[in-house]
Amino acid sequence: MTSQLYRLVYHSRNFISGTPEQVSVEVNKILESSQRNNLLIDVTGALIFNAGMFAQVLEGARNDLEATFERIQRDERHGEVEILAFDEASSRGFPSWSMGFVGHSCGDKELFTHIGEGSGFEAKRLEGEHVFRVMRDLAIAEETRAA
Amino acid sequence: MQIATSTTPICDDQKSLHREPDLAHTEHEAALSLTALNSLNRAVAVIGPENGILYKNRAFDELFGGGELSPHLRECLNSLARGTENLESCETAFDDGRTLRIETMNLPDGLLVSAEDISKRVAELAQSAEQARTDPLTLLGNRRMFRERLRDLMANLDPAQDTAAVLSIDLDRFKAINDTLGHSVGDALLRSVASRLKSVVRREDVVARLGGDEFAVIQSGGPQPNSAAALAKRLVDLLGRSYIIDGNLLNIGASVGVALIPTDGVDDDEILKNADLALYRSKQDGRRTFRFFENSMDEQMQARRCLEIDLRRALAMRELKLVYQPQITLSTKQVTGFEALLRWQCPKRGLVAPAEFMPLAEEIGVIVQIGEWMIRTACREAVGWQQPLSVSVNVSAVQIASLTLLPVIRAVLAETGLDPGRLELEITESVLMKDHAVTLDMLQEIRSLGVRVSMDDFGTGYSSLASLRSFPFHKIRIDQSFVRGDPDDPGNIAIVRAIAALGRALGMTTTAEGVDTEGQLARVIADGCTDVQGYLISGPLNPELIEDFLHLRDGRADAAAA
Ligand SMILES: Cc1cc2nc3c(=O)[nH]c(=O)nc-3n(C[C@H](O)[C@H](O)[C@H](O)COP(=O)(O)O)c2cc1C
Repeated sequence: MTSQLYRLVYHSRNFISGTPEQVSVEVNKILESSQRNNLLIDVTGALIFNAGMFAQVLEGARNDLEATFERIQRDERHGEVEILAFDEASSRGFPSWSMGFVGHSCGDKELFTHIGEGSGFEAKRLEGEHVFRVMRDLAIAEETRAA
Repeated sequence: MQIATSTTPICDDQKSLHREPDLAHTEHEAALSLTALNSLNRAVAVIGPENGILYKNRAFDELFGGGELSPHLRECLNSLARGTENLESCETAFDDGRTLRIETMNLPDGLLVSAEDISKRVAELAQSAEQARTDPLTLLGNRRMFRERLRDLMANLDPAQDTAAVLSIDLDRFKAINDTLGHSVGDALLRSVASRLKSVVRREDVVARLGGDEFAVIQSGGPQPNSAAALAKRLVDLLGRSYIIDGNLLNIGASVGVALIPTDGVDDDEILKNADLALYRSKQDGRRTFRFFENSMDEQMQARRCLEIDLRRALAMRELKLVYQPQITLSTKQVTGFEALLRWQCPKRGLVAPAEFMPLAEEIGVIVQIGEWMIRTACREAVGWQQPLSVSVNVSAVQIASLTLLPVIRAVLAETGLDPGRLELEITESVLMKDHAVTLDMLQEIRSLGVRVSMDDFGTGYSSLASLRSFPFHKIRIDQSFVRGDPDDPGNIAIVRAIAALGRALGMTTTAEGVDTEGQLARVIADGCTDVQGYLISGPLNPELIEDFLHLRDGRADAAAA
């Protein structure tokens, strides 16, 4: 029995302080434990770190997403977590990534400058959609580059 | 009693006749006793001097293993033997984890020992004691456990060097979630909260759910107040982060109050009370924050409690009364009606201004009763007036939300027989902001009774055209701050003019409040207001002065006309 696939999209503010190197070390730690944990429960997705913000897409069974998200919520390395979308999904956007990092394909461009502007329900839904698209495109670019 | 009388042989058995009957019986009895003792499930032994075993039954061997008495048992028996009672007993835990109950009785030349394994009963007791101290939903400790631990901590504290803190935690908006999404989501949310709580405290800290959405932590160790401040800050942040539960995105907030041990209380009662006072303050200060207890909070709370008691008594003792301020219409200079204003003549406090007690009345809900009393009293008094003038009464948002307003108005109109057209309700714009559709429905119903509805204090709030358009008000009352404000302030003039024009366009009367001088009167006339109210006409009048006032005015008007 396969359970219904869900997708969760959120963004949050980085609370890691220090030099860019120190931040990057910490982000790598996050990625390592994400990949390790997500692989075990068949959760996939991507993480981006851009202009002081994290944005993350997580895909998997609802219970697994809820449990993973609860752990992420307790993490002091970020805060002001805003959930943009939590919906059923027909297929995975990041089927081969237990937790991909698309941070390096975008350089210093500020991808989500409008984040936090609109707060209405519709604005959030659109933003969730937007974040998901941007990250998937970056993921595809990343994979082609690696190939 | 066959046996007792059997010294006289009654059977004709030859053998038994030859024997000494007493001895035969004693032997028989001894054998019987021995068999009984041996087959007994309870361990029994007779111990002679020097701990020698004179007799033991099978159960005794099973309980203690064969052979000599173990050192622990010997020690127990010796201390029991030293007891002063003939019958002694003790409960003792053995190294193997069992708990035994041992009883002894002094015999002429030994000690009768009996024992049983009560481990199961002890374990059951411990378990039920544990259960009695556990919150079944979250598996945190409950209020009883929290109290006991706090009492223990305070009893064993060295006030010279130990410090600790109690953090009292309350969830904001939990009730709404429970009500709208159901108990199972609410329960799951409480479990998540409990789990987040446990994830940030140290092992030695005590976490409990005191009931409902109330939690508390005892933080021991760590320098205070810094440790408590850090934990409180973390809790406000962590518990206030959103939750996803069963597919629902849930947002609640947490407020925290902190009391420090030993500075903030001599016993557990006082510490908990003060942590709650601090919690109350953090909620008053806008929630999602934490506050440390301060002595002034206690004083303020006591002052508030006194005011509350006095206010509740005021209702019962009829210490409230209404005074009436006249309103005139500018085109005819005629008095059109009176605004009913609340006064509280407290025997202890003297005259208390509404601004001093209305916020509390709102908080504790008595505003609904006060509002009802105002409507009833105003209608009753207005019915007695010689002229059919209007009477207007302020209605608060809480009163509207309580949904009793409509039935109260119906009942009061029926009771007093007042023409509904003479009653006017004043509502502020903020009333329209909450639960818009429900409020509008109710206002429509009130209007359909024939009662008039006016927009009070216009110009101070949002002053939105939308709220004027959303309901056909009879009257717009322009807040006195614009009338009393700087006469040269072009802003004030523009606002009064705009509202007056708006009223004209929408077919509503516009009443300027706070007209105290001829200058102000000339100005509001120039600005286009239709009605005025203020000290220039008259201050608020006691009900018994109303007729005199009207009479005097009529006389003056006649004199002016003559
Ligand atoms: C922005 C952000 C994203 C994270 N994403 C994940 C994730 O997808 N999966 C995961 O297990 N942990 C994630 N974490 C880390 C968790 O918060 C937590 O540290 C980790 O799950 C602990 O697991 P570990 O003890 O196995 O390292 C994330 C943390 C941050 C700050």
